[in-house]
Amino acid sequence: MSQTTDRPQRADDDASSTAPPETETVLAVEDLRKTYGDGEDAVTAVDGVSLDVGRGEVVGVLGPNGAGKTTTIKSILGLVVPSSGSVEISGVDADTDPRGVYRHVGAMLEGARNTYWRLTVRENLSYFAALGGNNPDAARERQERLLDQFGLAEKADETVNDLSRGQKQKVSLAATLARGTDVVFLDEPTLGLDVEASLELRRELRRLVEEDDITVVLSSHDMDVVEDVCDRVVILSDGRVIADDAVEELVGVFETQAYRVVVDGQLPGDLRSRLVADYHLENVEVLADRTRFDVTLGDDDGLHAVLGVLDDAGYDLLDVGGLEPDLEDVFLDITGRAGGGDGQ
Amino acid sequence: MSGAAATDGEPGVDTDTGARAFARFFIAAFRKRLLLLVRYPVNTISQVGTIFLVFGVVFYGGRAVAPTAISDSIEGIIVGYLLWSMSITAYSGLSWGVTREAQWGTLEQLFMSPFGFGPVMVVKTVVNVLESFLWGAVTLLVMMVVTGRWLSVDPLTVIPLGVLALAPAVGVGFAFGGLAIRFKRIESAFQLVQFVFIGLIAAPVSQYPLLKWLPLAQGSQLLQTAMRDGVALWALPASELGVLVATAVAYLVAGYAAFTYCQRWARREGVMGHY
Repeated sequence: MSQTTDRPQRADDDASSTAPPETETVLAVEDLRKTYGDGEDAVTAVDGVSLDVGRGEVVGVLGPNGAGKTTTIKSILGLVVPSSGSVEISGVDADTDPRGVYRHVGAMLEGARNTYWRLTVRENLSYFAALGGNNPDAARERQERLLDQFGLAEKADETVNDLSRGQKQKVSLAATLARGTDVVFLDEPTLGLDVEASLELRRELRRLVEEDDITVVLSSHDMDVVEDVCDRVVILSDGRVIADDAVEELVGVFETQAYRVVVDGQLPGDLRSRLVADYHLENVEVLADRTRFDVTLGDDDGLHAVLGVLDDAGYDLLDVGGLEPDLEDVFLDITGRAGGGDGQ
Repeated sequence: MSGAAATDGEPGVDTDTGARAFARFFIAAFRKRLLLLVRYPVNTISQVGTIFLVFGVVFYGGRAVAPTAISDSIEGIIVGYLLWSMSITAYSGLSWGVTREAQWGTLEQLFMSPFGFGPVMVVKTVVNVLESFLWGAVTLLVMMVVTGRWLSVDPLTVIPLGVLALAPAVGVGFAFGGLAIRFKRIESAFQLVQFVFIGLIAAPVSQYPLLKWLPLAQGSQLLQTAMRDGVALWALPASELGVLVATAVAYLVAGYAAFTYCQRWARREGVMGHY
């Protein structure tokens, strides 16, 4: 299991970061549904998603391919017309006042340039600020700050086309933030970036969130990004929310459930198969004089049951240790269970 | 339109969607277009060069093949070609423009403007029409120099007639822009429409009066009368001007309605901006 390093420091790292009850809700999604087609051909992409996000929160949206992440985000943004449900952003109802909603929300979408590559960085920021109806003085001040924060000041007068991929991605993010909305959706903001550029972008994002008190809803396939940047994680599967909790809470629960077990001798194939089938053993390694495997269990009794089976079969226990899981392990287990699989 | 106070620069509180902010967006859109024209001169020159080249082929080629026919109808050719080149600029700014924005992934950003997608597209259209007038003026001058025929260019007559004549082309541009949002790759249809425009501009309205209700036909007819015969706007028959205004408004409104319907259709199907 991997461990994340070089993690951006959060101001609230020591505390559970779920939005406290008194936090103002800036995004309220209620029973959102989206079905494509009719009758037998109907495909439900979003199936009753409800979500409340407090001001200043950073919420990660995770889910396997086809889980409905992008459709959910686009339905919230009005880029997809939902079949039913309600969306309220900063107290404005998206259905009755869509334009009003866009005064409060901006988005950087997956796989899109989001900016004009033939314009310079500064021209892009100015254009998108004007498109967002921003006050020019406030917009200029914000643009200069964003250029500094993203290390783009020296490149400000270069056309986006001439920048590296990482810099282009930063320009997209800066152009989204240049509109100065209080809620920002970022769909795969680090997609295609190398490790260094991704880490830098995460640090800047976290810093902006804390300095500007903006609310971010972020979707990413990269668990490290979500674990580093987000306070809270919403996991989608088959268009439904199957988990919604603080990152620390989700990972913390798994800390007490994942173990690495080492027993004396080589476990025979039939016993290994039985343990894999009954207790979902992972990473089984049969060495010359010992066998090592990982096991994630629903409760402590499960561990005792595994150890009991090994004892009955005459294998001595050499070592049992708790494993520190990361968000990826949590995600795989939760989506695996939701899909009826074994979490692999 | 409502507007929020613009004071402290905090997120969400300095957004304004009033007339001044809308004017600022218009200036930003106009500036963006100008910047691109100046920054990419080869592109700009080839765009204008193509217009001159096609006219050169029509004029010199036609004169070589049928000198009398070309000489007798040169004013009609100049005005018709002027209207066609301007129509193409105004129309393709919308149809091709929407396609390119979808490819770039900026269409969704335009959609998410607090001004509303429709008004944003209207601003882009006005910028396109202004650009078409810019190239129209240059093209007209070059054509008059090349042919040695000088037409009556009274701005008080030509500009209003030109705007009204172009309006149906803009309406068609909106409709095809909407279809591009919904169905994506329809560039072949875009090109086909450009040739249909030639037929509409050259429609024999005086022989078949019903043709004046088609897009561009009446505008072409009245522009020719004004520029060839030097007839001022107020000297044109009111009924003919009425037809021009009615077709301009009708095709513009119908095109805009089709655009609105298509973008909503695309959002229902979840294909807005997908490319």
